Amino acid sequence: MKDMLKMGLILLAFTAVSGMILGLTNDVTQGIIQERLEEENIQAIAGLLPEAEDFNNLEDEAILQRDLIVEVYEGQKEDETVGYTVRANPIGYGGRVVVITGISVDGEILGVEIAAQSETPGLGDKITDNEYLDQYVGKSTEEELVTTKGGETGEKYINAITGATVSSEAVTDGVNAARALYEEVLKSR
Amino acid sequence: MKLNRIFIKGLLFDNPVFIQLLGMCPVLAVTNTAENSLFMGMATTAVLLGSNIVISLLKKFIPTKIRIPIFIVVIATFVTIVGMVLNAYFPAIHANLGIFIPLIVVNCLILARAESFASKSSTVGSVVDGLGMGIGFTIALFVLGSVREVLGYGTFYNIALFGDGFQPATIMAMPPGAFLALGLLMGLFNKIISKNVNEL
Repeated sequence: MKDMLKMGLILLAFTAVSGMILGLTNDVTQGIIQERLEEENIQAIAGLLPEAEDFNNLEDEAILQRDLIVEVYEGQKEDETVGYTVRANPIGYGGRVVVITGISVDGEILGVEIAAQSETPGLGDKITDNEYLDQYVGKSTEEELVTTKGGETGEKYINAITGATVSSEAVTDGVNAARALYEEVLKSR
Repeated sequence: MKLNRIFIKGLLFDNPVFIQLLGMCPVLAVTNTAENSLFMGMATTAVLLGSNIVISLLKKFIPTKIRIPIFIVVIATFVTIVGMVLNAYFPAIHANLGIFIPLIVVNCLILARAESFASKSSTVGSVVDGLGMGIGFTIALFVLGSVREVLGYGTFYNIALFGDGFQPATIMAMPPGAFLALGLLMGLFNKIISKNVNEL
């Protein structure tokens, strides 16, 4: 019994010191990490809405309760809304894919960016290539986009990456979620 | 044991990857590029060095019965510190290594050195052992990562080596490629070592 208490106290001493050291390290690094994340986020969405000068986070319940939608920013220039960026997290082949879509006020997709992904290297991770993402640019938000394995041409079709249909479909899901959000909520704001 | 012997042992004759086959999870999982491998090796070396020092200093206060939980607490502390520092100052590396940084905690190389060396040896010896094993681990990862990156992406340290006509062998960048490259490199390493082992 005495032995058990002694062991427990020794272990307690080790974990207490460890906890203290970790707390101190966290104090030093946390600020830097937070700052960087915010900066990266603003940079990513600013690239999608080059016209906008200020960004406001829209924390409307009607927006955030929708499927796949994570975060929506409204981009403004001289107090007028020029567009929206929508962060969505559809499911890909290797987990969630974080897709940010930039939409102008007149319902045109201005750009798509992949903020985070864990798709197969060499196949699915090609969704981050501009060559692929540029297909979404200039599409209208009115019609649902469809991923195709080749053949069909038309306004609503996006050519999937060979060997990575699931990853391509995930990106399209994300863009579609943003598109639908714009059509159903943001447009009439 | 002389210090230079301890160092060379970790580096070559007891190389953690090619001879002892320890810590296979990061060896196979994050060696798809030379850069990732190098940083994974360095992160592991930092943790190994830290845990070896602390454990050899405190070995008198660690009761045998609860040594394993204490080793793990010490290792986990260093791993968490390394993770936080990487996230704050090297975000790109942190993003690439991802889940494999916290998983350094269960890298059996570190626990093996704590158990079989640091808890029985002087602090100076443990530092040398940590450096030898850590650098041996890093070099092994770097070689493996370089081979896989060159074959799997056609680049070395993100610099394209071949023209546009080169079709990379994607399999080398994926998990099976890790097994293939590791097996071949291990064979090569052991062939070279077995010739020279008598000279030491």
